[in-house]
Amino acid sequence: MIPADFDYVVAKSLDEAVSLLAKHKDDAKLLAGGHSLLPAMKLRLMQPKVLIDISRIKDLSYIREEGGQIRIGAATTHFQIETSDLLRRACPLLPETATNLGDMQVRNKGTIGGSVAHADPAADWPAAVIALNAEIVAVGPKGERAIKSDDFFVDMLTTALQPGEVVKEIRFVAPKGHVGQAYMKVRHPASGFAVVGIAVTVSVDGGKCSSCGVGVTGVSPKPYRAKGVEGALKGAALDAKTLGAAASHAADGAQLNSDLFASGEYRKHLAQVYTRRALETAAGRAK
Amino acid sequence: MKIEGTQKISAARERVFEALTDPGVLQKCIPGCEQMEKTGDNQYSAKLSAGVGPVKGVFTATISLADLRRPEHYRLVVEGKGQPGFVKGSGELNLIEDGGGTSIQYSGDINVGGLLASVGQRMIQGAANMMAGKFFSALENETAAGQKAS
Repeated sequence: MIPADFDYVVAKSLDEAVSLLAKHKDDAKLLAGGHSLLPAMKLRLMQPKVLIDISRIKDLSYIREEGGQIRIGAATTHFQIETSDLLRRACPLLPETATNLGDMQVRNKGTIGGSVAHADPAADWPAAVIALNAEIVAVGPKGERAIKSDDFFVDMLTTALQPGEVVKEIRFVAPKGHVGQAYMKVRHPASGFAVVGIAVTVSVDGGKCSSCGVGVTGVSPKPYRAKGVEGALKGAALDAKTLGAAASHAADGAQLNSDLFASGEYRKHLAQVYTRRALETAAGRAK
Repeated sequence: MKIEGTQKISAARERVFEALTDPGVLQKCIPGCEQMEKTGDNQYSAKLSAGVGPVKGVFTATISLADLRRPEHYRLVVEGKGQPGFVKGSGELNLIEDGGGTSIQYSGDINVGGLLASVGQRMIQGAANMMAGKFFSALENETAAGQKAS
């Protein structure tokens, strides 16, 4: 449990992080909260020669509403999101997701940018990021670009980030009107990771669902949008029968994860049950 | 852990079988295979840097091929050891003519132990599927390139 030798540098700004990354290339890893990176280094499953610490960059830690969008800096911790008044009012899905994430130590140190960039197949944030149809803003040597959450998660531990790019912020338009949201997960008893995690946002207009987003994590090697569920909700009245029927599509077409704790079939079942519960909770909150 | 599937390769069966038993081709197709040497009849030793994304472990492995029935079948036995744990597995490959191409049916059983198993258990199946996917797409390219050259 002792990592291989490495050098450690602190980046004082995002620009400095980008240029340090350009200098050290594949030898370097960015250190944010370190709650995935450090365990992997202790097991020597990762042996970076240089750690570039971005957790002290003040400009990367913020939650603000700007130009009709909510913007969350990449180095914002889970705890800051959990306790943000702005988010509790404008997008309670995110604080609820944070509350369910890891333990107190993880929430105090871990960051939303680190979590999405690592793309653990059972991480909680990706479900919420997909449900909100957020964009992930990355900065690299060639400048800044925004990547849609649907395109960002490519496969297990693999994202659309290019070598040299750093996640700068997560941004999205908060749903307006009569909105109900919920995050529900089956928590792995040992790791706290999501065996299944379902993030839901529904907007209701005139008794019917005007828009919705459903993100699923833990079920498949990569988080995904439950399109079948969304399709069954849009334009429909959110009664128990509709919600149950919609939830049955939660794992449609998904390649299913399987491990000692939960088989693929069991995960599929859990995804359907927890999607129904999350939808019922969200619909209840939308009134 | 079980791994199984069917993969279609658009090259003739003889060609696919040849590629699947050629250490040079296997080295190019196995993700993270840095070195592959013949150590005896149908016996090879390999150095693999196996993993997903940035998470990788270095393994040394012995690979042996058994029950060879050209060009339709063989059994593959792999034993690997590395810093993060060990991997042992065996599998059967069946090659079936399918139009102008070849369907490879594979099924196997993989055991993973050590730190890798205790910590990485929840990702091993996904990692194995991802590596199988990369292997077969590389094999497709490799056999297609071989056909053009010949």
